[in-house]
Amino acid sequence: MAAQNKVESGSEEMPATSTDPSTEQKDRLIAAVKKEVKQLMEEAVTRKFVHEESGGVTALCGAVEACLGQGLRRRALGLFKTSSTTALLHKIAKNCPEAALVSARVLAAEGAPATRSASGVERRPSAPRPPLNKRGSGSLLSQPPPQSKYLWIRIALFERQLAKIIEHLVNNASRYYEREALVADPDYGSILSSLLVGPCALEYSKAKAPACFWSDPPADELVQRHRMSAGTTTPPSVRRPILNFRRSLNASSDDGSTVTTGTANATASNAKDYVESLHQNSRATLLYGKNNVRVQPKDVEEPMAGYLSLHQTAAGLVIKWTPNQLMNGYAESEGIDKSQYRWHLVHVSACPHECILCSAAPCTVYRRRCAGSLCINCVYWAMSLQVCVWEVVYVHVHRSKLSDALILVGQDGVQRPPIHFPKGGHLLSFLSSLETGLLPHGQLDPPLWSQRGTGKVFGRGKVRRQPLPSLCESGETEEPDWEEVAGDYVFRIVNNAITDREAMRHSLLERVVQSPPRTPRRPLASTSTTSSDSSTMSVDFPPPGLNGHTALPAPNPIVEEVASIELVCSTMRRQIISRAFYGWLAYCRHLSTVRTHLSGLVNPNIITREGIETGLTEELWRSMMDNRGIVIDKDEVYRIVYYGGVQHDIRREVWPFLLGYYEFGSTAEERIEQDVAYRRQYETTMSEWLCVEAIVRQRDREATAASIARLTESSGKPRPEVNEPGEVFEDDCSVISDNPPIVSPEPSDNEQRKQESKPILSRAPSIDEVDNIEMDSEEKGKESSKVNGDTETETNDSRDVDSLNELDDDDEVYIKSVVENPDMRRESIAEIKRLAEGFVQKGEGRGLLCSVDSANVNLNGSDLKSSIDEYQPSTHQQHTSVIITNPSVDLAPSGSPASGGTTANVSPARSPLGVVREESQSAGASFDTLEPSDARPDNRSNCVSPASSNGGVYSNELVESFALNLHRIEKDVQRCDRNYPFFTDENLDKLRNIMCTYVWEHLETGYMQGMCDLVAPLLVIMKEEAVAHALFSRLMHRARDNFPSGQAMDAHFADMRSLIQILDCELYELMHAHGDYTHFYFCYRWFLLDFKRELVYQDVFSAWELIWVARHVASEHMVLFIALALLETYRDVILANAMDFTDIIKFFNEMAERHDASAVLSLARDLVLQVQTLIENK
Amino acid sequence: MAKTYDYLFKLLLIGDSGVGKTSILFRFSEDAFNISFISTIGIDFKIRTIDLDGKKVKLQIWDTAGQERFRTITTAYYRGSMGIMLVYDVTNEKSFENIKNWIRNIEENASADVEKMILGNKCDLDAKRQVSKERGEQLAVEYQIKFVETSAKDSLNVEFAFYTLARDIKAKMEKKQEASNPPGGRTGAHQLRANEQQRKPTSWLSRCSVL
Repeated sequence: MAAQNKVESGSEEMPATSTDPSTEQKDRLIAAVKKEVKQLMEEAVTRKFVHEESGGVTALCGAVEACLGQGLRRRALGLFKTSSTTALLHKIAKNCPEAALVSARVLAAEGAPATRSASGVERRPSAPRPPLNKRGSGSLLSQPPPQSKYLWIRIALFERQLAKIIEHLVNNASRYYEREALVADPDYGSILSSLLVGPCALEYSKAKAPACFWSDPPADELVQRHRMSAGTTTPPSVRRPILNFRRSLNASSDDGSTVTTGTANATASNAKDYVESLHQNSRATLLYGKNNVRVQPKDVEEPMAGYLSLHQTAAGLVIKWTPNQLMNGYAESEGIDKSQYRWHLVHVSACPHECILCSAAPCTVYRRRCAGSLCINCVYWAMSLQVCVWEVVYVHVHRSKLSDALILVGQDGVQRPPIHFPKGGHLLSFLSSLETGLLPHGQLDPPLWSQRGTGKVFGRGKVRRQPLPSLCESGETEEPDWEEVAGDYVFRIVNNAITDREAMRHSLLERVVQSPPRTPRRPLASTSTTSSDSSTMSVDFPPPGLNGHTALPAPNPIVEEVASIELVCSTMRRQIISRAFYGWLAYCRHLSTVRTHLSGLVNPNIITREGIETGLTEELWRSMMDNRGIVIDKDEVYRIVYYGGVQHDIRREVWPFLLGYYEFGSTAEERIEQDVAYRRQYETTMSEWLCVEAIVRQRDREATAASIARLTESSGKPRPEVNEPGEVFEDDCSVISDNPPIVSPEPSDNEQRKQESKPILSRAPSIDEVDNIEMDSEEKGKESSKVNGDTETETNDSRDVDSLNELDDDDEVYIKSVVENPDMRRESIAEIKRLAEGFVQKGEGRGLLCSVDSANVNLNGSDLKSSIDEYQPSTHQQHTSVIITNPSVDLAPSGSPASGGTTANVSPARSPLGVVREESQSAGASFDTLEPSDARPDNRSNCVSPASSNGGVYSNELVESFALNLHRIEKDVQRCDRNYPFFTDENLDKLRNIMCTYVWEHLETGYMQGMCDLVAPLLVIMKEEAVAHALFSRLMHRARDNFPSGQAMDAHFADMRSLIQILDCELYELMHAHGDYTHFYFCYRWFLLDFKRELVYQDVFSAWELIWVARHVASEHMVLFIALALLETYRDVILANAMDFTDIIKFFNEMAERHDASAVLSLARDLVLQVQTLIENK
Repeated sequence: MAKTYDYLFKLLLIGDSGVGKTSILFRFSEDAFNISFISTIGIDFKIRTIDLDGKKVKLQIWDTAGQERFRTITTAYYRGSMGIMLVYDVTNEKSFENIKNWIRNIEENASADVEKMILGNKCDLDAKRQVSKERGEQLAVEYQIKFVETSAKDSLNVEFAFYTLARDIKAKMEKKQEASNPPGGRTGAHQLRANEQQRKPTSWLSRCSVL
């Protein structure tokens, strides 16, 4: 389980023997308590409950214990037990009821049989106490269960008595403490007790809460946990070298994992692993273990006892020595161990932890034994030894009467502290374990157990072959001096892997130089190793570190043996070379592929940040503009924006440039003209689709009516076929095309009628169910003042009739539905209905139609009457089509109340509409052109717009497909960022207009979900419809490809894959391990919406600017790098929790809008730079 | 992470956009309703673990974008899912009609034995209703799929729907296990039973095997 708390605090109570001034020490003690309290409270807040076994609790207890232990009058009180504070508790129990209660509990807990399981999970849920263990009850090797530490403090805390007990102690400090003790101090004492009030009020849970048990932790919690467990936030930068050479090249030699001794300074989170690693486990085989082996670390006067062990791991043999203090006093510390496979790699600098009792000072200090007693834990860590055997070149053995000492000398020539074995053959058994462990890849030279005659060879010089005395049964005991107790021996550790390489190198040289240097050299070891494998080569080419006092060449090799060995060696050599070559080749190929691939992602030349502190401020912007408003140095603008963003106030001005809507060389005037022209064009386009919209609305009404009619009338009897045309599945336009184009077969008829019956104004269709009411009333007010563009748009108006007619073919269902109409158009039309009632009566059979129209009629004021009168003739039509046309008829007289346009659209109505006229107009249709076109504003938008009446002939296809898009747009617009205050109804209408206009222009692709999200921020900044539309169109040039119809998304995913592979191989491995998310679907929304949903609005602005300008500055694919930065920001969380695809998708969906955008963006820039550098350096 | 459940069921919500898939999911997972949900882009999922006849069943419910255009992405999730909720909006005729298309979509993309259920959402909006309950039921009968009208807003039948679907999946799963565990003789009997059922045209099972 990922753990919450990092620091295993000063885990054992220490005799207060500090040399520091006492106040300083008290400060530190209190600070430690404070820190732990804070963390614990934080944990309680973020996780709703605190687990009893949480590391935070242990740490707090440790800190408290340290405070209490300081200055305690042990001697006077007779407190000599291991836990003197526990004794203290029992002592004060007489006077303090709280202490008595806790004391009883402690006794009970201590007395309880240790039925615990190792994990400590097995607990009676109802039991008030966990079965706690007496401290120190574990054997030397077994790790004491965590609960056993600070038992009484724990219990007091869970019983919520701790603060009171401490208060009692403080009040009676004089009895138990020295005068300078912390507890006795009037200030510190009360601070201590009051600090603990908070933790005493918390709920501690023994088992995980079921809720937590049942559900995966939310993203927030993961991040929180990570933050707490990491202490300092880990730099998001990549921790492993970006290109992993180790893996592909020789593995054994460059073991970066080798650990040097004295510097070993384990992080607390590694500590648990460390102790585990001392035992037999899955990763390491314990070859040898011996306790009470004494080592004299640096700075320590006399050797300390500790546990010596020899482990066989994947990386090789490791010798470890751990001081007994650590073995005994170690308490659990939960921590996310991110470096599991590097567990024996302990790097000082990376240790993010602080010594709990000397907070604020990083652990490195304690390597030099900084703070005496309090940091003893750290000191011990510093003392412990971990030596990778491959790192060792020589093993010196010094035997004296008192003890056997073993000194390891590394390749660097540095001696490790001597290891003193107790007498009695332990050294020998260690050495033999070592020798066994070295096989098959290495060996001791000279071998420990060698054949007789050869022994002499090694006896040369001061180096002695050591057939260790009494225990060595095969020993060459003839020579009495070897039997001597005292003696010095040196063994060399030969690593065949290294020597193989050496050999290879030499042989390569040989070939080139043709020098045969090998023959004179002694192939001595061949005699000792029976196998004729390449290990013998080691002898020929001693490792570089080799110096004088090794065994020197032995003479008299057997010639044939040499020859055969020669043969073997050359074969081996060839194999090795070829393998190495192919490995290298593959690696190079990979790199070049990657480089070619990546080089497309970034611009080759690096543009630096220099001189950019702020972003593009208004002042700066003005200064870059000349008096005609021309901005010349566009590259500088890009650069500034890339590194610093744009000040919010001038975004409105700058964005059109960034998106390329304004030219950089343009003058202010030109831009204004451009705006005007664009707006005109925008309005024209809008008027076009508004016509169609009107038709769509009308149809919708019919359809609604129909379905409701059916619902009410024939709810019992199923009507299998719906009258709606086309089985259009969503926006699948292809299906629509099945429908024949519209023009109704009998248009002329209708037309004729209409003609008589009056001008056609299909105002009615444009009435929208949703907001027509208020609009209507608004228009009412305006209509008088507005001049209608009556004469101008006339040409087209009749066509809408045609298009509407087409609805008629559907049959009487419509009629029926219409009849039902009043009943169902409840809400939105409620008012209309009311108004309409009167007319309904007049209208007789067509009443409901009237009801719809009545609203319009009503609007038209005085015209109303007449229109109704005119209506009459049409009532007699035979065709159902009348129903459709009627509405327009009755409205027509109203003339053109027109242009209630409050928004930008001044009079789109007047512009001749480029309406699609696919059908030749039927004869009857043409005359309608004379009718005054309504030039009605569309009710829906505030823009003045001609209603459908000026529509041309629209193909059914067109209408249908627009209808589909329209419905979808409306659905999405209505729910677009309603939480953001900008999106009032008015602004949502703008959004809708922009969206519809764009879709009208791109009907072939149509609306796709997500477009709204892209328009929204533009509209927020630009405020004005037309310009926002312009920018959106620009934006879509790039973004269009991201939508399902385009190809960009897959390319993004592929690029992400290679980027991660190059920049963060660890993460890549994780993803690879969970094969299911190399497809990167969790990035889908990121790319589709340019992170719009991932960030809050303010940050979206910055991110977008960055994306736009980056193509001119650093990379055309900035989105990739932002995505990568997001991933990298949470890489540790992802890695620590080994998230699979579902986890990661959930994580990022939950993290949406919670990212630290500025950090992410700057990391993105860094990543670009990183890739640029990588490519540049090729 | 430790396995804290007995079963893990992957469910999928599909249906036209705006029918309330996300709301249903939100109601079920958080027991809350939010009127201002934004359209779903890409995919999301929520988890809720329920107790079903003493077993802890973890439901991983995937929410998809409704727009047909995103089908290429969403269909990728059909395959792994064991249960699919088809959602339509009772105030939107079209979304109801499209249920047929969605079913076809399932047939094309999901595994054959996936459990299905039709939900008619927004049944609280009775005034705007366009699709009667009867029509929903009829469709359900036609396809042999369970059906219920729900309201995410009023928290009506949402729980019921998910529990029902989960129970069906669990039953099917256990039955499968049963069938695979006992040797020959039992399996034969089982098949016999299946054959019997196939004769009845209305049988749910027969339908299932056809699918």
